[in-house]
Amino acid sequence: MRPPVPQAYPGPDALTAAAVAAGLVVRACAGWPETPADDRVPPLAGFIESTFSPLVAQVAGRALSRRDEPPRDQVTALVIVTALGDVTSATRVAAAVDAGTRVPPLLFFQSVPNSVAGYVAARWHLTGPVACVTGTAAGLAVAAIQIQDAEADEVLVVRVDVAVTDGDRDRAAAVVVTGPTGRNRPGTAES
Amino acid sequence: MTEGPTVAATPVARRGAGTVVVTGAAVRSAYGRGTQALLSGLLSGRPAFSPVRRFDVGPRRVRVAATCDGDPDLRTELTGTVGEACDDAGLAAADRSRTPLFLAIHAHPAIARADPADKPQLGPAAFAAAVAAGSGLATHGIRCYLSACVAASTAIADAAAAIAHGRADRIVVAGGYLVESDQFALFDAGRVLADDAQVRPFSTGRRGLLLGDGVGAVVVESHEAARARRVRPVVRLAGWGRAGDAYHPCQPHPQGHGMARAVTAALQRAGIAAQDLGYLNAHGSGTAQSDPAETNALRLALGDAAGTVPVSSTKSLHGQALEASGVLEFIVTMLAASKGSLPVNAGFLGTDENCRLNLVLGEARAATPRYAMSVNAAFGGANTALLIGVP
Repeated sequence: MRPPVPQAYPGPDALTAAAVAAGLVVRACAGWPETPADDRVPPLAGFIESTFSPLVAQVAGRALSRRDEPPRDQVTALVIVTALGDVTSATRVAAAVDAGTRVPPLLFFQSVPNSVAGYVAARWHLTGPVACVTGTAAGLAVAAIQIQDAEADEVLVVRVDVAVTDGDRDRAAAVVVTGPTGRNRPGTAES
Repeated sequence: MTEGPTVAATPVARRGAGTVVVTGAAVRSAYGRGTQALLSGLLSGRPAFSPVRRFDVGPRRVRVAATCDGDPDLRTELTGTVGEACDDAGLAAADRSRTPLFLAIHAHPAIARADPADKPQLGPAAFAAAVAAGSGLATHGIRCYLSACVAASTAIADAAAAIAHGRADRIVVAGGYLVESDQFALFDAGRVLADDAQVRPFSTGRRGLLLGDGVGAVVVESHEAARARRVRPVVRLAGWGRAGDAYHPCQPHPQGHGMARAVTAALQRAGIAAQDLGYLNAHGSGTAQSDPAETNALRLALGDAAGTVPVSSTKSLHGQALEASGVLEFIVTMLAASKGSLPVNAGFLGTDENCRLNLVLGEARAATPRYAMSVNAAFGGANTALLIGVP
């Protein structure tokens, strides 16, 4: 098993420490930004105007690519953690409604965090539950109960915070976690 | 038709040893305030859709929704509904103060139009803390679920799991959505709203969904905690399941793989066979792609019983309450099963061969199911199933 990748920025380190404190085993972690080269979040096809969804996809991909190759029948859940949600998209929609101008149809899909979760789940074949909650502690508690409840073998927890005020910057972190005893899930009827 | 799935012989292996019950519920919908108003509206079979007067719908392609009177405030409605659920459960003030809140909402209602400097203070957590404080619940352990149309049902499943595994004695789960201008505009722009002013789940000629008000709360607790308070449970939360499609950002898996696994997991946790289900409240959004996918999921998970279990989507009556759907429809399922009357799948025009189920059509059907299930799905391929047992 590869050790978690050391990080220079506090986001993934703090998330890793919180996961360990919650009794979870961290299999991989990632962040944004990780290096000075991380100055612009790569766009994500189908998602416009807001960096929320591209950030989720970016750190999720980094973390998942850093973990060991999972068993073929591994069930991975995805929990997105956010303090405010996709404020950029919400503000854009409100402005269009108030001005009586056209609301871009693509904003319909990205107005909920589930959509990028679906993108990540499809790209990485994550067949476990999909959830989005506020607060790191809550996100890790959801991950822990999904593992204890045998709903998933591992959980990808992504924390995402888009810049809201001037001088702020986009930040995201992700960890792939399992329970302390490894696989908890019995054989299930695969559909 | 496929064979039914193998049901686990030892449900405890997937759910923890504790018995989970629901001891109280409260709701507000387009039919009015309270469970009795909701039940009466459902059993009337008359959809609650009408022209939207709460905000300007002039620029919209579709202009109807299921709304209650006036322009109610979400925080006020949630606070009141949580309090009523606690009253219904007979929860004393001291018990409330130790009970955390799991809340399903879309976002803080004020954040989109707030000054940028004020937005950091307008997170969902602050909103939930205000609801918890206003209803006398604990100030700790508050959790917000933002997972679209499975937000509330996921919260109920997580609460049940936490209680079954001994992590909590009692949790109040609430969800709230009141039809407002921004989501209405988004759904209209996405061209998913029914332009014939009627939701027609699983029917030929279905043209999409319609939004509806929904504010609901349930008190979920361990059987031991309820017994210690000498409170009789309304229903048992016998099983639950959540699973993903791993298919697409906003389309369901055409074969319903994720939903089938969620339904199967709920049956396994309850330790019952599909044939034991006496009612299924479907997700049934009334959209072209979702209804056939759900039908395939139910065929996969229930086997032959998919042709016999009575099914209705009450979104055809009360509308789509987004993040609150899971708790609104869970309460509908509780009421239907405990009162012995299954609500109709309204708006039905004719049988779609891709959606062939045992739908409750025409009028409400008298039945006394021992077990009933509420199924929900959302963007991202998220699926949940909640299974209740009637005492």
